[in-house]
Amino acid sequence: MATRMVTLRLDPSKATLAEIQAKYQLRPDQVDPKFGVVSVRPEDHLYAVLVDEQVASRLEGGEDVVGSFSNPKIETFGPPRKR
Amino acid sequence: MKIIIQLRSSGAAHQAATRGIAAPSVTSGLESAVSGISIDPQYPPVQLPGVQTTTGAGVRSLGQPLTFTLDPARSTYLVRGSIPDGASQAAALQSAVAHPDVVGVFSDPLIESCIVCPGDPPVGNASDVAKRLSVSKLVTKKMDGHSVFLAVVDTGVNVAYLKSKGRTPKLDIANSWVPSGVSTTPGTHPVDHGTMCAYDAGIAAPKATLLDYAVLLSKTPGSTVMAGLLSDAVLAYSKLRTILNGMPVAKRAMVISNSWGMFSPTWDFPPGHPGNYSDNANHPFNLIVASLETAGADILFAAGNCGHNCPDSRCAFGAAPPICGANSHPAVLSVAGVDVNKARVGYSSQGPGRLTAKKPDISIYTHFVGSGVYPEDGGTSAACPVAAGVVAAIRSKYPVSKLSPLQLRSLIFKSAEDKGGTGFDFDYGWGIVDPGALLAALP
Repeated sequence: MATRMVTLRLDPSKATLAEIQAKYQLRPDQVDPKFGVVSVRPEDHLYAVLVDEQVASRLEGGEDVVGSFSNPKIETFGPPRKR
Repeated sequence: MKIIIQLRSSGAAHQAATRGIAAPSVTSGLESAVSGISIDPQYPPVQLPGVQTTTGAGVRSLGQPLTFTLDPARSTYLVRGSIPDGASQAAALQSAVAHPDVVGVFSDPLIESCIVCPGDPPVGNASDVAKRLSVSKLVTKKMDGHSVFLAVVDTGVNVAYLKSKGRTPKLDIANSWVPSGVSTTPGTHPVDHGTMCAYDAGIAAPKATLLDYAVLLSKTPGSTVMAGLLSDAVLAYSKLRTILNGMPVAKRAMVISNSWGMFSPTWDFPPGHPGNYSDNANHPFNLIVASLETAGADILFAAGNCGHNCPDSRCAFGAAPPICGANSHPAVLSVAGVDVNKARVGYSSQGPGRLTAKKPDISIYTHFVGSGVYPEDGGTSAACPVAAGVVAAIRSKYPVSKLSPLQLRSLIFKSAEDKGGTGFDFDYGWGIVDPGALLAALP
């Protein structure tokens, strides 16, 4: 299943996996622990977590949930390949 | 249609050809007699030596023995002009050929330099790039990347390989990062794209301290081994920001080179979707890029290899602008590619950009014999670290406390060698990075 980055506006002291799992009633396996809680924009207390698209849909519109975003594939550019 | 007209010998034609000056009087009779013909008044007649075959018969093959003479009586003289296209062309041509002064009328086709495309052989080498970048001048000013972090966010770097190519790279292992699941460690990754990028950054910044961020070795699914997911880059950037914030402000200098992006809009939500990345300033990666630049990082992204002339086979943007997401971010330098003859490579992505229209920002050298990882260090993938090296070289003397990333970008734009249209254009951006001019522009 595709993954999504979900951004949350949190008090820095609550920006932990345990706190987020508790707040949104998520199981540990529903939030990528290797990605963890990433500070996206410290001045705005904006954080991101990585979840699958089903969980992302459930979180959308929730308290302090800012948005759910694509996690597209990225690839090196060159050297260029001939058509 | 443009034509070359071969005229019979005349004293006036010979005199003009010898002096290299235009002589409208030589062709005034022709212009009066042939309806629709127009002769270029600025083009001086050119003497064509008289040619003779050994048998005296006409020239049938350039492989047969020929003798040439500059005797004016046996020479002919070339001028150029045009005749109408369309229905009246045949009559004008017939009339011109029949004129007593005319020996023959020939086409004068447009000629163009050959644009470099995928699969074409390299043009020049890393030494040529170093000359174009005035590296020796940078070195005399002790601008060689020392005391500057240069993060290569890519497939990982192999230090042993760089050393085998005569480089002496300095790698900060403690501040490098490997995604989870990757078995190799910073500096020991398989020789591939990331090693090429590290080599190319070292052309202008051989003393930079490399940070190896092997984001594209992530084991998260992608179609090739040189693919990853954007979330890996988000994680990498958060670590880089922590490092940057830990540097004393007076010495803060970090350059981040990114030679990756998307090849297809289908990898993303469509534009307008709230979760879209390509066109959405609110996407977490675009936000973290902005926050890292605000903290003082110089961030460079390759513009991409989806140029109209001869795009990479993976490009699937169609007519849609290909410079998207962070590659088009207003807070980064979006880097296009030119060969060492300063001609745009045909695959270098053209603007406008999606997050901000005026992209790419600048052009710099690619498609040269360099690292040896590939037959050529090519793509905007090579151009980006070449530019990153120049930025790192400048940062050796100008940390962020003296020149913010925005100020440095402005100086790079103003000092760039203007190519394409006057000023900014969507092929070359503000022009080709000119370190000589940039040095003169620094405060």
